[in-house]
Amino acid sequence: MALIEIKNFRKSFGSKAVHENVSFYVKRGECLGLVGGSGCGKSVLLRSLIGLEKPDSGNIEIDGQDITFMSETELIPIRKKVAYAFQGGALFDSSSVYENLAYPLREHTLLTESQIADKIKKQLTEFGLADALQLFPSELSGGMQKRVGLARAMMLDPEVILYDEPTAGLDPYNTKKIQELILRLKNKGVTSILVTHDMPTAIAVCDKFAFLKNKTIAEQGTIEQLKEKKDSLIHQFIEGNLL
Amino acid sequence: MSEKSYNSFEEIKGKIKEQLEFFGGTGFLIRDCFYELRRKPVQMNLLVDQIYFIGVKSLPLIILTAVSTGMVMSLQYGLGLEKFGGKPYVPRLVASTILREMGPVFTSLMLAARVGAGIASEIGSMVVTQQIDAIRALGTSPIQKIVIPRILACLISLPLLVAITNIVANMGGLAIGYYELSLDPLFYFNKVLATSNLKDYIPGLFKALVFGFFISVSGCYFGLNVKNGTKEVGIATTKAVVVASLSILVGNFFISKLFWVIEKWL
Repeated sequence: MALIEIKNFRKSFGSKAVHENVSFYVKRGECLGLVGGSGCGKSVLLRSLIGLEKPDSGNIEIDGQDITFMSETELIPIRKKVAYAFQGGALFDSSSVYENLAYPLREHTLLTESQIADKIKKQLTEFGLADALQLFPSELSGGMQKRVGLARAMMLDPEVILYDEPTAGLDPYNTKKIQELILRLKNKGVTSILVTHDMPTAIAVCDKFAFLKNKTIAEQGTIEQLKEKKDSLIHQFIEGNLL
Repeated sequence: MSEKSYNSFEEIKGKIKEQLEFFGGTGFLIRDCFYELRRKPVQMNLLVDQIYFIGVKSLPLIILTAVSTGMVMSLQYGLGLEKFGGKPYVPRLVASTILREMGPVFTSLMLAARVGAGIASEIGSMVVTQQIDAIRALGTSPIQKIVIPRILACLISLPLLVAITNIVANMGGLAIGYYELSLDPLFYFNKVLATSNLKDYIPGLFKALVFGFFISVSGCYFGLNVKNGTKEVGIATTKAVVVASLSILVGNFFISKLFWVIEKWL
């Protein structure tokens, strides 16, 4: 059974349609790579999966629940199990790394402050950020900000993670670090959707791909299926012959 | 229809739409605040932080404005009334004008500039850097975390700041009364106490509450409605200050008129 399912999704901004008739699904434990040219609306689609954008029509189901037109309050339980890793980290810039990571725990758990501190230290060590505990976002590099954002998204042990360009603008070392993190989470059974232009990372971590073009999913399939099909759109996209 | 008149028509239509969106948007924002207040209690640490930023940190500005206002009024009334031998009426006139009009209006205008701009730019920047989205994505409410503490802090701080303005401005008036108008300080002080009453205080404090609401709601509304990058943060800040200031000045007339009618009726 699919954990995430989108059916006939349509979204427009004013008179400009961004998506039309988009449908795909992701099974539990799978990692879907959502790829496509710049500005084709990958992030809009990803944001819609946790209700940050509302579609004009169609359905979005998470774990069998139709979240399409849920209110912000109704979305709270969904957002606890579906985490969103923002492109730039979206860290609270007036709070330290510790405060950023403590935020979801203080809001949604009954942990004591010492339990929260222990969990944060453990999480930061796992993400290779043990020394960043008291730093502020402005004191972190781009790669560190992304990793802290990812660590914060993971604090509530979500079932699903939505990654928005997690490796964009990073050097090969940090790209590899993020790649390893995604793989580690995937091995723990976390379901994920990865929006990216970084095809080596996508190929390394994704089980299947959906290619977004002309407002809809133009092609989808597993990496094996796409590897066999040499004239596929994704192949052309990787080789730079297609926008 | 010529192209010029068509463009003017479109511009007017756009302005009307913007106004309607503002009234509708603030209506929804207030509704969401009530809904969130019913759903979850106010987080006291956030409220205290905002009272500190909005109230305590505004004190030097408010004190300076108040003392200057009181001094200028005392001087002007003194100069005007001296010709008719009306200097003894200066304390009463200064006190009444400050308590009813100048205290709440000047304090609110200063706060609209400092706090309204601060709220709009801070929230606008949070929108641009996706921090508001992050608050939502982490299963929490920006209304609960950002908007409600700021509105409540304004509603609590402004009447207190106005009370301080009332005292400081009258002290400024007393200083000028003594040094420039040769009025006995004790006479001035007693005159202020004897002639000021609840009818002077209540309209001023009521205005402070209403103006605090105008400042915070417009700051939050324009901040949350930033969409297209940092340039809009500046525009939102300007709009928040302009709308809050105009609301204060126009609102002041209507509240004064309301209390005038009530006083006549009583």
